[in-house]
Amino acid sequence: MNKHDPIVGRYVYVTCQGKTYRTYYEENGEGIPMVCLHTAGSDGRMYRHQLCDPDISANFRSIVFDVPRHGKSLPPAGWHLEEDEYKLTTSFYAEFIVEFCRALELHKPVIMGQSMGGNICLELALRYENEFSALIAMEACDHSPGWWIDPLHHPEIHGGEAVATSVFGLMSPESPDEYRWETWWYYAQGGPGIFKGDLYYYSVDSDYRDKVHKISGKLPIYFLTGEYDFACTPEMTMRTAEKVKNSECIIFGGGHFPTSEDPDKFKEVITPVLKKILQNDPQRRGGATQNWPSSQGDGGGSRNRSSEDTPQRRVIDL
Amino acid sequence: MSNLGGRRVLDLDWVENWARRVNEDRVLPVIGRFFTVRFVLGIDDTDFLCEVRRGKIERISEGLVPSDMGYEFALRAPSAAWMKFSQRVPPPMFNDIWAMAHPLHKQLHIEGNQKPFWQNMRALTWMLALMREV
Repeated sequence: MNKHDPIVGRYVYVTCQGKTYRTYYEENGEGIPMVCLHTAGSDGRMYRHQLCDPDISANFRSIVFDVPRHGKSLPPAGWHLEEDEYKLTTSFYAEFIVEFCRALELHKPVIMGQSMGGNICLELALRYENEFSALIAMEACDHSPGWWIDPLHHPEIHGGEAVATSVFGLMSPESPDEYRWETWWYYAQGGPGIFKGDLYYYSVDSDYRDKVHKISGKLPIYFLTGEYDFACTPEMTMRTAEKVKNSECIIFGGGHFPTSEDPDKFKEVITPVLKKILQNDPQRRGGATQNWPSSQGDGGGSRNRSSEDTPQRRVIDL
Repeated sequence: MSNLGGRRVLDLDWVENWARRVNEDRVLPVIGRFFTVRFVLGIDDTDFLCEVRRGKIERISEGLVPSDMGYEFALRAPSAAWMKFSQRVPPPMFNDIWAMAHPLHKQLHIEGNQKPFWQNMRALTWMLALMREV
């Protein structure tokens, strides 16, 4: 018998800032709507394990969309005539998330995002707190500088390989090789200049250091950061969470891509958070009534001194 | 690994052992097919010039001399940082050259012509990760 994932994919037309975007999304499950936000330069595949998880699917309607220009969501018509390089802005990103949720007629969804998808949770809390019921901000902080750099989109550098390799070390060395290299693959498939353009939002157009204290606390915010994340370190997340009302901060033994680099570890980390969200919203949990499970050498070659070197200098020909 | 009194020393012997491990690798000839470059591995105050051809290290030299005619790029960090980087399971912030080089951490300095560095980064990082098997 053939095996299928339970994920279903569709396209929805989302209008944002005067343009309409044919937007790809995937979903599975019943219950509280939970919209998942992928990282910069990647796409919704990085949530494939969570969308297939029976415990999550019994309680949440998990939805993940590809931001325009990512994955199977095309750029807007006429993108080739744009007079500036692609730059994701705070206003577009936040408004697109809201418009996507409206297009699917979602009522107060949970937002779960990582990296830039985590940072945008701060903007959503500041500007759209009435639209959502909870925010899960993974690998998020109030300021993440240093990533908007030209080598990520350069005609003499292979964008896919360079982009994917530049993020590889953000993952824990103890995450399974299979999933770390799958994550590398997502990044290698990004469109030209898209990762860099997303990082314009991540490193340049968003700086919440003087704003996060204004978050009202009406929305619960759960911060989760892996200890191997050097772009958003645990200290950066903790420093941010200390300033955000009604927030929790969880540091775990993982990296910057928790959903895709180590899905089993991630389930252990996220399960208590999802249980809290369910406890706060019991009417909307899915049709399934079962309780959430409790847990889940030396080659021996010659060493020769090169005649052209000074006597003090040791040289080894291999 | 070079070992003095039970203490790891990142000296020429250690660099040679690493280079020999690199040259045994079966993947580097594939992903490093076009990786031909001369780069410096800087450990504390010592520069090791690594001459790479098609993903293999053909020569390592301790110290730089004028007749080297320069090099493409250099990766320089304290031995304490390389020591952590080369642990079988490196600790957070030392598991990757970008982690060590990030402006937030400033453990590693990437100097010289960054173009060949970026062009060959996949093979280079694979090569450096083999330090964990020395």
